[in-house]
Amino acid sequence: MTAIRAFRRDFDAVEELFAFTSDAFGAEGIDQRLRPAVDLVLEELFTNVVKYGKKSRAAVHVEVARTPGGVRVTMIEDDAERFDPTAAPATDTTTPLEGRTPGGLGLHLVAKLVDSIEYRYVEASRQGRTTFSKALVRVAKEGEKDARD
Amino acid sequence: MLAIDFGAGGTVVVAGRLDAAQCPAAQSFLDKVQGKVTLDCSKLEYISSAGLGVLLKTQKRLAASDGRLRLAGVSPHLRDIFRYSGFDQIFEIEAAQP
Repeated sequence: MTAIRAFRRDFDAVEELFAFTSDAFGAEGIDQRLRPAVDLVLEELFTNVVKYGKKSRAAVHVEVARTPGGVRVTMIEDDAERFDPTAAPATDTTTPLEGRTPGGLGLHLVAKLVDSIEYRYVEASRQGRTTFSKALVRVAKEGEKDARD
Repeated sequence: MLAIDFGAGGTVVVAGRLDAAQCPAAQSFLDKVQGKVTLDCSKLEYISSAGLGVLLKTQKRLAASDGRLRLAGVSPHLRDIFRYSGFDQIFEIEAAQP
């Protein structure tokens, strides 16, 4: 089973996103311990869409599905410009306070929190799809550094 | 939802979820604090990058006049977010009591 809901492009809609994940986690039997990370990743992806997709008024759809030991979430943006959240430049988190400016941490946190993330863009339909997964216990592939370190 | 107000001993207590929708209220409150301030995060359930921006902006403003924002009662989840963001290098962070 998959839970799906549409959201308006508005920063205030993040509260509706959280209500949806709460409902979906309950309905799908997904471990609630995954919710803080999933909510954070969804908020970062969604606010990016709102910030950088101002030309569109199309609703943003979010799908939540249970996977073995975890969850898979897909955000679907219609009438979208291509924007790959997995290709964001690295953020330097070692800069001293005087050199730090607010911003730039969202996609850095996304990369830290997910187990996997994929972006697809279909030019013909102008549709962007970002899918990420997260599980409670993740086994790193051979030779792979744990993304959460 | 988010609640932010002064608690005992001048501590600022923040409770709920500091997300993009709640940042203006949090920023408006923190823009008024001065000096060395402890932010009690023991009832803060969630913070996103928008909320981190509020804390960073406040820390920079306070540091410019020899003040600082100290984060207390930080849960393991929030501690991870602060660490991933490098905030453990620019804030004094005190973990929540077990």
